[in-house]
Amino acid sequence: MNFRLKIGSETRSLEASPLDETRRTTVMYGEITHSVAVDAIDDNHLNVRLDGRSLNLFVGAAADGAWVWAEGRARFVEDADKLQRRKSSGLLDQPVAVTPPTPATVMRVMVEVCQMVEKGQPCVVVSAMKMELTLAAPYAGTVTAVNTQAGAKVMPGEILVDIEPLTEAKADE
Amino acid sequence: MFSKILVANRGEIAVRIMRTAREMNVATVAVYSEVDRTSQHVLTADEAVFLGESDPAESYLNFDKIIVAAKETGAEAIHPGYGFLAENPTFAQRVSEEGLVFVGPPAESMRLLGNKTTARRLMSERNVPVIPGMTAAESDICRLQAAADEIGYPVLVKAAAGGGGKGMRIVRTAGELPDAASLAASEALSAFGDGSIYLEKYLDRPRHVEFQILADMYGHVVHLFERECSIQRRHQKIIEETPSPALSEELRARMGAAAVAAARAAGYVNAGTVEFLLDRSGAFYFLEVNTRLQVEHPITEMTTGLDLVRRQLEIAAGLPLPFAQEDILRRGHAIECRIYAEDPERDFMPSPGKIIYARSPEGPGVRYDHAVYSGWEVPVNYDPILGKLVVWAEDRPSACARMIRALKECVILGVKTPIEFLLDVLSNEKFQAGETHTHFIEEFFSSWRPSTAGDDLAALGFVVNEMLGPRTVERGASVGPAQPISPWHRLGAWDMIR
Repeated sequence: MNFRLKIGSETRSLEASPLDETRRTTVMYGEITHSVAVDAIDDNHLNVRLDGRSLNLFVGAAADGAWVWAEGRARFVEDADKLQRRKSSGLLDQPVAVTPPTPATVMRVMVEVCQMVEKGQPCVVVSAMKMELTLAAPYAGTVTAVNTQAGAKVMPGEILVDIEPLTEAKADE
Repeated sequence: MFSKILVANRGEIAVRIMRTAREMNVATVAVYSEVDRTSQHVLTADEAVFLGESDPAESYLNFDKIIVAAKETGAEAIHPGYGFLAENPTFAQRVSEEGLVFVGPPAESMRLLGNKTTARRLMSERNVPVIPGMTAAESDICRLQAAADEIGYPVLVKAAAGGGGKGMRIVRTAGELPDAASLAASEALSAFGDGSIYLEKYLDRPRHVEFQILADMYGHVVHLFERECSIQRRHQKIIEETPSPALSEELRARMGAAAVAAARAAGYVNAGTVEFLLDRSGAFYFLEVNTRLQVEHPITEMTTGLDLVRRQLEIAAGLPLPFAQEDILRRGHAIECRIYAEDPERDFMPSPGKIIYARSPEGPGVRYDHAVYSGWEVPVNYDPILGKLVVWAEDRPSACARMIRALKECVILGVKTPIEFLLDVLSNEKFQAGETHTHFIEEFFSSWRPSTAGDDLAALGFVVNEMLGPRTVERGASVGPAQPISPWHRLGAWDMIR
């Protein structure tokens, strides 16, 4: 079985033979072959013998993949093939926009409709978990709409300020 | 002693306070907001009172609701924990006016020390060394600029009412001052309701060394030695240890005496912390007094063997301290790592979400104060602390090794945590050599990235987990009538064990 896995920004491929009745398999990372035996201790806990070395791994399934933890290092792992299918259906096409990285509360809106903004110009200040974050314009342009106000609770993906990009021609004017 | 107390806080600190109360046979009342209905502190308390909406102003910061909750449940005292109302003198005063006991210092000491400029003035009068800087808050930019010129750049802009790095800015040139001052003032205003700022000299790579103090109502003040909290990100502590690798016995005695003098100057009662900056020449400067139980108090408990919450409750109940300075001993070395829901790859940005799975580290010398369980959702409304992992061992190298071992047993899946980052800091040569300072993370870990070795094991785990398939059904199937009859079933009652 071939797997293409996305971890962070990297995608890696590996190949594994199906588990036999003693839950053994061989896993190939490129040229290197490892012998692997696995026992499921419970829904989240796996004991894996990787070339004879015992490791306790913990797995937590989430909507788009799974969190996998080994020796203090946790990674969110996505199946790149499934991801590719979602991406081509447009689900992951996130515009670069003025949106909070975490659920947050708007503290101040620093731009107005029709205002010209520079790339990197602060547009909105939000507060999340007692920390203030400044959301800057991702590109230069004109503000066409302000979709929020101070005190509003906002979520990632919510576009707080619409900016019409400055076109080349306008930039020359 | 009180028969019942209300803990006006949430999360790990509320749970920690309730544990000691239970050991003292004191009943506990939790308070909670909408989003905390099934949070760990509610599950730990003997009874719980709903305060209101999740917004802190409607719940954990709401004086009236908390006081009504205390009166209705018959609690005699209110323990504020840290954060929220812990350093609010108006609340402390209100609690006493309502005939209840505030577990903390008198409102007057809090007022004196809570205002950093007043505190600095008070300390310099009592010969406690302070960092060169302004002794009064200032908002006029021209006067700020004149003061900065006199102190000499770089200067630090600080909030007069503040703490925890909020409203703090380093200014390296005169040109940066106006922007930094206005940003700091606005951050201070939103965080503390007071936009006053002042300037002080910025020290290069100092250590943060603080002293735990205890004072009873009868003028008896002791210190419980130091904690070094130099490892910080965003001006907030992330690793703390005691003893500090930088203190000689002679310096420890001098700083301890200064801490006791600082507490006396403010008429301090209950547990508190006197913070100092220690520069490379061994000179130390008063920073501030935290008029509360600190997040990092467990490391002092580990090395002195004293329970600080027990002492707080006894002092608040009017009992005298049962020991003198020379009775307080310390042994071994303790380290604490703070575990927040935050992303160390993205400047420690909060990372709220659902905890899919959590498992606690255990074993010799390990203490894990936390409020996390599998399936719990980390709310966005509050400070994202999940817990504190604390270890004790006979010396510093063993404590570092024990912390690395314990971090490798600490499983939290579903949100980003700094566990991997902490492992790399603990394994760092300079950290292991004790060469820590407040810019350590900035200097050595600003471009930190998780290791690719972790990626390989994660990929392996993902693949074998996929191949094993779902497992719950298989497990459930074994719990049926087909099980062989165990000897326990036939023996009936447990009488045979006697």
